[in-house]
Amino acid sequence: MRDRQRFLRIARAASACLVLAGCEGVQSTLAPTGPQAQHIAQLFWVMVAGSGAILLVVTLLTAIALFAPPRRRAFLAGDTVVLAGGLVFPVVMLSALLVYGLVMLGAGPGRMAASPVGIEVAGERWWWRVVYRDAGAAVESANELRIPLGRAVEIELSSDNVIHSFWAPRLAGKLDMIPGRKTVLTLSAETAGVSRGQCAEYCGGAHALMAFNVVAMPPNEYDEWRLREFQPAQEPTTQQTRAGKALFLSHGCGACHTIRGTPAAGRLGPDLTHLGGRISIGAVILATDEASIARWITHNQDIKPGNLMPAFDIFSESELLALSRYLASLR
Amino acid sequence: MAVARKALLAGVGGALVLALAVLFFAWSGLYNVAASRPHWALTRWFLDFGLRRSVATHSASITPPKLDDKNLVILGAGHFDAGCAPCHGAPGGHSDPIVDRMLPAPPELNRAASNWSTEQLFWIVKHGLKFTGMPAWVAQQRDDEVWAVVAFLRALPQMSASQYRLFAIGDPEPRPNDGAEIARNGMTMEALTRCVRCHRGDARPRSALVPRLAGQSQAYVERALRDFASGSRPSGIMEPIAVALDAAAITALSAYYAGAPNPAPSAPPIESNADQIARGKDIATQGVAETGVPPCLVCHGDARAPSFPKLDGQYAPYIVGQIDLWKRGLRTKSGYGAIMGTIASRLTDEQAQDVAAYFASVAAPPAEKLKPPIPPSRHGGRRAR
Repeated sequence: MRDRQRFLRIARAASACLVLAGCEGVQSTLAPTGPQAQHIAQLFWVMVAGSGAILLVVTLLTAIALFAPPRRRAFLAGDTVVLAGGLVFPVVMLSALLVYGLVMLGAGPGRMAASPVGIEVAGERWWWRVVYRDAGAAVESANELRIPLGRAVEIELSSDNVIHSFWAPRLAGKLDMIPGRKTVLTLSAETAGVSRGQCAEYCGGAHALMAFNVVAMPPNEYDEWRLREFQPAQEPTTQQTRAGKALFLSHGCGACHTIRGTPAAGRLGPDLTHLGGRISIGAVILATDEASIARWITHNQDIKPGNLMPAFDIFSESELLALSRYLASLR
Repeated sequence: MAVARKALLAGVGGALVLALAVLFFAWSGLYNVAASRPHWALTRWFLDFGLRRSVATHSASITPPKLDDKNLVILGAGHFDAGCAPCHGAPGGHSDPIVDRMLPAPPELNRAASNWSTEQLFWIVKHGLKFTGMPAWVAQQRDDEVWAVVAFLRALPQMSASQYRLFAIGDPEPRPNDGAEIARNGMTMEALTRCVRCHRGDARPRSALVPRLAGQSQAYVERALRDFASGSRPSGIMEPIAVALDAAAITALSAYYAGAPNPAPSAPPIESNADQIARGKDIATQGVAETGVPPCLVCHGDARAPSFPKLDGQYAPYIVGQIDLWKRGLRTKSGYGAIMGTIASRLTDEQAQDVAAYFASVAAPPAEKLKPPIPPSRHGGRRAR
């Protein structure tokens, strides 16, 4: 019984948090930062206003039918009112809204400038594999999309496991990632900053913790970042980070993770070449810093239960510090 | 009505008086619990009858696996000599006058297989017998080990004393014949902690269910012994041995095995064809991307940290058996075990056999270059019979 009460309290608190998170805006459809999301927000408000007005009129008519004296309410029984209100109005109104909706949602990509920026995003369990291509070279990142302001971005979505759904609410609507198919989502950002996205199709155990960041950057900053991103990993400079790199390579981390420029070339988990430069780890669970990386290495099954990485609770304190410092230094 | 009531009262009263009489008898101390005096024939019959019925009833639902496997018999023999023979005696041994004064006296076991069914033997070895001095198996989850002992007990009647000595004690080595040495160390041949009885020194173990330790990483052997001693790696065979070793002995032993020359590459002791080995090699070098199995060699290859074990030249049945333990969650309590547990759970049984065949087929690399090996301590644990 007490457990049940506690559960209810937690559930209530959690739902309150969700509502508040909506207000905060990092993941709110109603706080758009790009034209596609603006269309969706506008469509939403027009629909809310329209349906609100219709609800008001219907309520008023119901009240008249119930409470007005017979003389006043007689007009409601006339053929004209029934035909106009019951047939003509819904047909015209719904058709108009449908057309409006279709135009609104189809409006985005067509108006975009040519030569969009291409990004590939693959849904994994339970994280996002992000691939940037440039003249034959391809580099991978995870759980973070960097896009330049004011340019169309064409995101090619795929999955080789289960169905996921890519949803960055401040930038665009959601689009499913279906095994065996490629879907393309076009979006663009007009305001610089970080917004949050989330998998919107239940995909198994850690689905709720499968989020990502979209970082919209001014074009010059974006170009600089992209140049860095295509470089291999930085060589460790201190003795401690060199020890961290050695630990990474000798303790099997490279079986699942790639760090470009080292023998570690695993593909099962996220590419860590520029881990330290990413905002978060674990698909937007922890801010990227030494302490979080150390916690993730030893306790990832507590932080994100069911994720596919085994917990590596095998390092001494100094080894763990060296390893996490090395990973945090990979900017 | 009244008659029935009276009869009931008389019955209850009689039972009460009887219970009080029994209690009084126990309190008075008149019953003689001395082991120096045998039971009455009636008591003996009653206890024996109850024991046989209890074992028969409790072992009714057990299904034995395939037991006519030499590897199981040899593994069981090694444990028998260290764990069972001190009380039950062994072929070619002498009866121990102290043990002979136990009541009931531990039976000689060369007739055990004809007195008990295979299922009953399993149940007795696993659960022990109350009030007889027969202990339960140390690691209750390790049925596989209990079956090894049962396989040995079934083979025991046909075993000559010399064959037994070869299986259970190992190579015939010169026994200590220096009086001073015997006076100091006793007959160390039978010591519980005598690793070579199963693992041997620089030769291959006789049972393919026993890991080869010669040339294994020192850090790994140390860790394994500590895990056994702490119980985080359950084993009825290894736990008592590891507990009997102190920290210095663990270090010395692992250094000895790390430096011991690894014997010549083994022919895979189970039937494994080239296809199987090739499939295993694929898994070891590439992993299985679809099911999230990383390539084995990243942790078990040449670039590994010394705390990860070397698998080259290891017996396939041993590797398969350990993967099975991980799948059953029996080796996942330690930090390293938790990592391998996750990976083992993603391997199918066929894949496990394939990788095992591959590792068994690889020539073991030369031993680690270490300081000259420290000979194993001759200081033993308990004296065997």
